[in-house]
Amino acid sequence: MDPYLASVLTNMTLIAFLAISAYLVLVVGEVSFGQQAFFGIGAYLTASVTVLADGHVIWALLTAVVGGAAGTLVLGLLTIRLSGLYFAISTLCFAELLRFSLLHIRFTQIIDGRKLGPDGPEGFSNIRWIFDNHYDVTDFLLLSATCLTVLLLLLFGLARSRLMLRARMVGNDPILAQSQGLNPTRYRLGFIALSGAVAGFGGGLFALFNTHIEPAMFGVMLGVHALTYSIIGGLGSPIGPLIGVVLDIGLLESIRQLAAYRMIVFGGLVALFLVFRPEGIISHRLVARLKRQWGSRHV
Amino acid sequence: MDTLQTSLDGLMIGSTYALIGIGFALVFGIMRRINLAFGACLLFGAALAIYLEPWLGWGVWGLFLVTMVGAALASAYVERLCFAPHTKRTQSMTAMIASFAIWMQLDEISSQMLPQRTHAYHGLEMPTFWLGEISVRGDQLLHFCMALVSIMLLYVLLYKTHLGLLIRATADNPETAYLLGVRVPWLGFIIFLVAGILGGVGAFMILSADGYVTPMFGMWSTFKGLLAMILGGLGSLPGAVIGGLILGVVETHAGATLGAEYRDMVTFGLVFLVLIIRPGGLMGVKIYRTESLAQERI
Repeated sequence: MDPYLASVLTNMTLIAFLAISAYLVLVVGEVSFGQQAFFGIGAYLTASVTVLADGHVIWALLTAVVGGAAGTLVLGLLTIRLSGLYFAISTLCFAELLRFSLLHIRFTQIIDGRKLGPDGPEGFSNIRWIFDNHYDVTDFLLLSATCLTVLLLLLFGLARSRLMLRARMVGNDPILAQSQGLNPTRYRLGFIALSGAVAGFGGGLFALFNTHIEPAMFGVMLGVHALTYSIIGGLGSPIGPLIGVVLDIGLLESIRQLAAYRMIVFGGLVALFLVFRPEGIISHRLVARLKRQWGSRHV
Repeated sequence: MDTLQTSLDGLMIGSTYALIGIGFALVFGIMRRINLAFGACLLFGAALAIYLEPWLGWGVWGLFLVTMVGAALASAYVERLCFAPHTKRTQSMTAMIASFAIWMQLDEISSQMLPQRTHAYHGLEMPTFWLGEISVRGDQLLHFCMALVSIMLLYVLLYKTHLGLLIRATADNPETAYLLGVRVPWLGFIIFLVAGILGGVGAFMILSADGYVTPMFGMWSTFKGLLAMILGGLGSLPGAVIGGLILGVVETHAGATLGAEYRDMVTFGLVFLVLIIRPGGLMGVKIYRTESLAQERI
């Protein structure tokens, strides 16, 4: 496969993890501007385990998942009283705090004559896992696409489950959910931690693929883009965030000739699009209608 | 003496944050919406001013006027495209995402108008005043007074005019105001215009004190305004003023004692703490309480 195309597709799958993590927070009715920080934590943890501790990549990604989940859980517990815009802004502050702390982490070691490890604003370079294991871009694309597919299949499997329905009820109306005997806080914390785990995993893959990471990569813009993808894609189905990613990055890369004017067109298109389809492409309503039609054809 | 000097510098900078914060607080207090594109509107105004400067040749006051008008126009455009179509209570997120998209758009337009990344933005040349050992830059003192005058004008608009009465009625209860004949959608447009004008004044003050403008200004001012508003209390106008002043003072002190690299960390940490401990901010407790009461209706 053309390496350029493969790297664009890989980037799409990596950002899709972040978009899905934003989607998981949206399911329980909250908005997070901070998922990129947990993406970053995952990336740093994976890099540390593979490079500094010389651990297996499975352990590295597992650490990233646990680290991402733990980070979001801390955030969720701290902001347990907040909701809506208050929660959204506190995630923004928390994420920026984490990113600024990454700027001050210096833990470099000389291994094989190379300086390795996180070096403040310079970031973490020489993550040589894909070279050491002779992965080329296409192989890595296969790996990350497989992981993404597994995640999506899991979420599809969960879509009709009691857990997901309840979580969505909490998201739509916490008070109604409470009166039905659900504990909204538990669902909220659970899904927020899950979103951190997904973000951490995506970040881990991101670090392996990019071979160099630095705090500046995990700025607010990344997180807000991920959030935008899930909103454009729609919350009706886990595939929604993926569609948002494909639309944005796919379109962006395909009309690169217009690079300078790209955002002018795209920004306006998104705003106009939201006027006509405020619930995104795949809304709950669309899913319900499709299911009805599908059902009537088979009955 | 140093502490006093730093605090004074902080107050001067804080007055500009207050103006931008008011832009956010006006929109949030009345429409319960956050306009993420606000900073980009200010950047657009500044970029337009620089772009038109060679043709107009009006000097500093031309910059001031064009920045203000440009910011107000951009703000009105954002309202029409992102906020007017999404009026339902549940659509505040959609509106916010739409405003983010327009942020990207305005950023890109402004970058096109500012081809070199850093452009000179002239301010007034004024002497520095000395009070004993304390120094005050003349232009900053002028800006501080401009901020005061703008805030007073806003106060007069809101509390002494008929339009202000309508705006306050809408802020209290949009449904009732609508039933009583207030044209609520039209009012939203006016609020965005006013916010844009105030923000434009703030942008002029910041940029002419710095002496240059870069495309990063949009994001920077969005953050400063948001943080100032949250510190004071979401949607409270006096809160935004006080929040902006506190933000300025804390920032300069943190910069002076801990160094520039810790400055932003301290501000974000402070805002996060305020959100956790006192979610309504320092002044906006009323809005927070009514909203949380509405949530805890059982």
